[in-house]
Amino acid sequence: MEVVRYATRPGRAGHNGRVPTTLEPTRVREPELDEHVAEDHPWVVIVWNDPVNLMSYVTYVLQKLFGYSNEKATELMLDVHHKGKAVVANDTRERAEMHVFRLHEHGLWATMEHDGPSS
Amino acid sequence: MSGPLGRFRPPVRAKGDGYLIDLGADESAMIRRLVGELRELLAEEATDPRSHALLARLFPVTHPDDAELEAEYQRLMRDELVQSKLGAFDAVDAALAGDGRVDEAQLVGVMQSINSLRLVLGTMLGIDDRDPDEPDEPDEPDDVDPGLADSAEYHLYNYLSWLLEWCVRALS
Repeated sequence: MEVVRYATRPGRAGHNGRVPTTLEPTRVREPELDEHVAEDHPWVVIVWNDPVNLMSYVTYVLQKLFGYSNEKATELMLDVHHKGKAVVANDTRERAEMHVFRLHEHGLWATMEHDGPSS
Repeated sequence: MSGPLGRFRPPVRAKGDGYLIDLGADESAMIRRLVGELRELLAEEATDPRSHALLARLFPVTHPDDAELEAEYQRLMRDELVQSKLGAFDAVDAALAGDGRVDEAQLVGVMQSINSLRLVLGTMLGIDDRDPDEPDEPDEPDDVDPGLADSAEYHLYNYLSWLLEWCVRALS
C-alpha cells in the first residue's frame, strides 16, 4: 500500500497535485475479533500487504465488508502495512471463503488458513 | 469558468440520491478504452501466458497451504469472480457512456474496476514491495522499475490512484 508517500510528496500523486488521504470517521458496530476465535470459527482470513492497494481504499473495504469502525479498520490496515499482514476475520470455512471472495472482488490480496489443530 | 482552469470540483461526488462521476470526455473515453483492454485480457487469460501474468493480482490464491482445497475453491468460485469483474466493467461503461450519474452499487463497480486497472498497471510497472519507510532517492520514485517513472503507464497509474481516492472519499 502506497498512499503514505502522498503525505510527504503531495505533488507527485495526481494531476491536481492533491490526493485525499483521510476518511471521515463513522460510528459503526465493532466486533471484537478475539472473542470469535472459538472452535466453531477455526478459519482466519488474512489480508496481506500489497504495494498497489491504497491505504484509504483498504480501510474503506474493511469497513464496508466487515462493519468495522473507521478506527478499527485503520488499525487493521496499518497492521497490514507495517507487519505485512493482518487477520481481518475468523469464521467457519464456508463463511471465511465468502469473505475472501468479497475481498478478491475488491482486488485485495486475501487468503485464509485453518487456525490451530487441523480438523 | 468550467474548463480545467476553473474552480476545482471533485471528479466523484455525492449528488441527489446518488453520485456523479464528473470526468472530461477524454478521460471517460480513456478509462472505457482501458476497461475494454482489460476485458480482452480476461478473455484470453486461459490461453495467453502474458495475459495470465498481468492478471495475477486480480485472482489471488485463497488456500495457499492446501492444494486440494484451493482446487475445489477455484472450481466453485473462479468463474463467479470473473463474472463479478465483468459486471464491474459494465458499470464503468454504463456510467461513462451516460451522464455520469450512478447509484452506490454502480459507483462501487466503477471503483473496483479502477482498482483492477491499477493492479494490472502495477504489475506492468513492477511495483513491488520495497520498504515504504525507506527514504526516497531524490527525484526517483521508490516503487517503480528504473526507467519507468516517466512512462505513460506510470502517469496513468497515478491518475487512477487519484481517481480511486475520490471514489473512496465519496463513498465514505
